[in-house]
Amino acid sequence: MRRVAARDDAAFRALYRQTSAKLYGIVFRILPHKDAAAEALQEAYVRIWQRAADFDVAKGSPLAWMATIARNRALDEVRRVRPASLQDMPDSFEPAAEPIDPLAARDRSERLAALIACLERLDDDKRAILMLAYYHGASREALAKRFGRPVPTIKTWLRRGLAQLRDCLSS
Amino acid sequence: MTPDDDFAAAEFALGSLSPGERAALAARRLREPDLDEAIRAWEERLAPLAEAAPPIEPSHDLLPAIERRLRAAAPSAAQPTAAADPTVLALRRSLTRWRTGAIAASCVAALLAIGFALRETTRERTPREYVAILQKDAASPAFEVTVNLDRQELTVRPVAAEAPPGKSYELWIIDAKLGAPRSLGVIGGTPRAASLSAYDRAVVENATYAVTVEPPGGSPNGKPSGPPVFVGKLIPVGS
Repeated sequence: MRRVAARDDAAFRALYRQTSAKLYGIVFRILPHKDAAAEALQEAYVRIWQRAADFDVAKGSPLAWMATIARNRALDEVRRVRPASLQDMPDSFEPAAEPIDPLAARDRSERLAALIACLERLDDDKRAILMLAYYHGASREALAKRFGRPVPTIKTWLRRGLAQLRDCLSS
Repeated sequence: MTPDDDFAAAEFALGSLSPGERAALAARRLREPDLDEAIRAWEERLAPLAEAAPPIEPSHDLLPAIERRLRAAAPSAAQPTAAADPTVLALRRSLTRWRTGAIAASCVAALLAIGFALRETTRERTPREYVAILQKDAASPAFEVTVNLDRQELTVRPVAAEAPPGKSYELWIIDAKLGAPRSLGVIGGTPRAASLSAYDRAVVENATYAVTVEPPGGSPNGKPSGPPVFVGKLIPVGS
């Protein structure tokens, strides 16, 4: 990342090769449309190049930092392109087809291991809505539909789940 | 930081906010350092989850496309002082010429802007919108540029412009703070969106937006090939 910050083209290409499939996996699940996902990924890498000097190794892995940039691009885009995505959510948003279970992750960094330990303490439903929101960008409305609960209930679940997670991580 | 704000920051990082809430929070974090810090803290808490996401291979032509974009942005980084750049001088000279002739034109532009503003605000309630009419003279508006600050996005729509045969129109953002003009992409017969997230709000609001005639596909070196054929500045619309 230091070499990328110093505008090293070869380092950037190497970084792209190592991370693009991971970041595209993140972007495409939130933005399940090939062209839009490719566009968001391009913008994310331009931003990574521009901001490489801001990366702070004390605050996490380079991949985590890059993933945050890519996710924000994808979330901005999906909210812009499909503000009324509720209708087509059930199709593009079928987590059962490809469940992401971080609990099953084999290679766990220290930070992921800590987060997983805290996620394991949540109720199944609370953990599920957090994962659907994180990996698929599911809105409260979409989650309410999926779980057959009113939106305020989902909001309460999210709030409790996130608060439990924060308290667990800081303990 | 109220508990409600911290929860909003958490939901921003998680990805569960509605479009309106997300846009509102994105705007607030620019003015509220505490909120910005809370969002970052939540992003860091949740970011390790990204490691557990299964990879998907993107299309192979993506890296060359990204490198093209980086090259297009590079000349301005390599030349922070644009004063000596002949292209920029040419641009500035023709901008000055344009400004002198623009007083009459601006009346027409203002009328047009009101029309567009009404259309824009009735279509969707977007909090902070700007519009610019890029034109050669009062009688020939060519492109309508709208900017949404909350989304950090620009949309350009052709009004009555058609590129000369075998040429492309390219849109530029020009501001003293940026040094050289920066490309916002090739524009044509259909509406097109461009991200402004790389630019400060003050730059976006005060910049001149200009269109040049370029070889097909846009400027080969990331710099305008000639003076602008259409120019305009933003006018705020809505609230």
